[in-house]
Amino acid sequence: MTATDYSQVAPQGNIFLPKECKIVNVKQVTELERHFTLKHADGSKVKFEPGQIMEVSLFGFGEIPIGYASSPTRENTFDIVIRTVGRVSGAVNKLNEGDSLFIRGPLGHGFPLEDLRKKDVLIVAGGIGLCPTRSLIQYITDKRSEFKRFILFYGTKDPSQQMFLDDIAKWKKANDVEYHETVDRGDSNWKGNVGVITELFKKTELSADTRVVICGPPIMFRFVVAECEKVGIKYENIYLDLERRMKCGVGKCGHCQINDKYACIDGPVFRYSDLKKLEEAL
Amino acid sequence: MNPYFITANDFDAFVTKMSKDKKVIGPKAKKQKFVFGEIKSADHLRLDYDVTILPPKKVFTPTCQTLVTFDGDKFEGNVDNDGVILFGVHFYDIRGIDITDLLFRENNRDVNYLAKREASTIVGSNIQNVSKRSFWGSIGTSDSGPKGHDAFLTKMDGGYVLECLTQKGEDLVKFGNWSKASAAQVSEAEKINKDVMDKCSQKLSHSSSEIAEKVRNSFDNQELWSNLAEDCFSCGSCNTVCPTCYCFDVQDKWNLNQVSGMRNRYWDSCLTEDFAKVSLGAGSEENFRETRGERFRHRIMRKATYLNEKLGTPACVGCGRCSAACTADIADPVNVINKIMEV
Repeated sequence: MTATDYSQVAPQGNIFLPKECKIVNVKQVTELERHFTLKHADGSKVKFEPGQIMEVSLFGFGEIPIGYASSPTRENTFDIVIRTVGRVSGAVNKLNEGDSLFIRGPLGHGFPLEDLRKKDVLIVAGGIGLCPTRSLIQYITDKRSEFKRFILFYGTKDPSQQMFLDDIAKWKKANDVEYHETVDRGDSNWKGNVGVITELFKKTELSADTRVVICGPPIMFRFVVAECEKVGIKYENIYLDLERRMKCGVGKCGHCQINDKYACIDGPVFRYSDLKKLEEAL
Repeated sequence: MNPYFITANDFDAFVTKMSKDKKVIGPKAKKQKFVFGEIKSADHLRLDYDVTILPPKKVFTPTCQTLVTFDGDKFEGNVDNDGVILFGVHFYDIRGIDITDLLFRENNRDVNYLAKREASTIVGSNIQNVSKRSFWGSIGTSDSGPKGHDAFLTKMDGGYVLECLTQKGEDLVKFGNWSKASAAQVSEAEKINKDVMDKCSQKLSHSSSEIAEKVRNSFDNQELWSNLAEDCFSCGSCNTVCPTCYCFDVQDKWNLNQVSGMRNRYWDSCLTEDFAKVSLGAGSEENFRETRGERFRHRIMRKATYLNEKLGTPACVGCGRCSAACTADIADPVNVINKIMEV
């Protein structure tokens, strides 16, 4: 898959000029996170690959890199989830329906759909890692017949951190989604699994030909990759969606470098076999 | 394109006339040192400089550059396409500009750099005095000479030879009493530029390809990097003065009315502690290059190995500015690389 050359689609060919979007819907999903549904202000269709990112901005506050949290199969709108962390995310999370925000994107390499089709797919999402992988989850459920088994592992610190509760209810009911979840710490109402996300590998049998997509906190990757190795999954069939400080999103500013690669244009999705050569990756 | 000659007597009039027609940026004295600044008459121009404090990158990537201006939800770009004549650039700085040209052009083309760069004319000049910390004589090979300039000026007895390489270079000839240079003058200029290559007192001990391989293979030698970076203040001076460092941060600024403002990019430094840090929310953060050793290593990797294949040369041009700027005097690539080659 080729990365988007933003200079080809940016307003006036200027890679720092964003496009205006309108907020169609907004929901508070956890204490810190809000889920926005957006449309392009000019009414144009939304085109991107699952796993690609955008720079979300508000003038006067700045820009932050955010993954698409919905599938491009739903082309009229797209979703993002913003966790209140700093100046920009704090300001975005005060916006309401009808307000404008600005995006530059799509940027970078997404998930390799052509490598996932006709294969068993396992997605391992930890915490807020569910947001960018939701672009792929929705894509697979929208085009379910193109893929074989679809297994989804979701882990959070505690039940209050779970997002997309409506989606989870659907995945639990669906016959063609094998959904497993866990929390690091339960509460009095929690009746499900308690433990780290790697515990979920005990819940199902995986074939060695499974394609695995992993997104979560940096600490999680190593342990999940180790579980994949036990099943005999090859490194080139494991895809990691990495977090870095993707400040400009267009491979210029230098902040997201992983050795000689840029998370923003060479990733954020990488094959594990490629990351093995990059000492700074994991 | 032709080589031209001008007498020393006529040279000043050429510079003055050129600077009346177009904005000329060239080497000037600043106390005991030199800087690139606007040249308004020939007596400002100091072609006998050894090295300038900052490289001429500041012309095309200013320390603060406005990318977007906004007023409420309205916004527009701020592309600067006013060309200048960048005059009197030593070959190592031409190579630095050539490297940043490539990096701003590849993948996502950045007009905020390229518009001004492509509208500008670059005139090189021979090195009349060699700075103490420079080591450009031992970097690269003869086939990786400077590129991207429009003309090259060489001072010799009685005058200057101007070798024009592009039409933009040729267009400068009209400002002065230039005549066709003789074959003897051209070969004299070549000799002057060749002879200076042996004049650096500092030298890398190995070829660029040997260095690239050894440095890359030293990545996991944690002890080496933490020792090399032990005295590092994480100040980023080495990045600031480097002709091929162009990393930047982007920040928004309000005007006093809190409605309009600008989105600016500022020089940033990978040696500073926060450069690769991300906040994860709820008070947690991740610093992907947390230690001084890791940051120091990244700079050396970037200069000596990562970009070599793409550029055809290392991303270090041997100007020695980082060596001179480093407070702890640990940044000198000659010391660092020669030490790594001995490990």
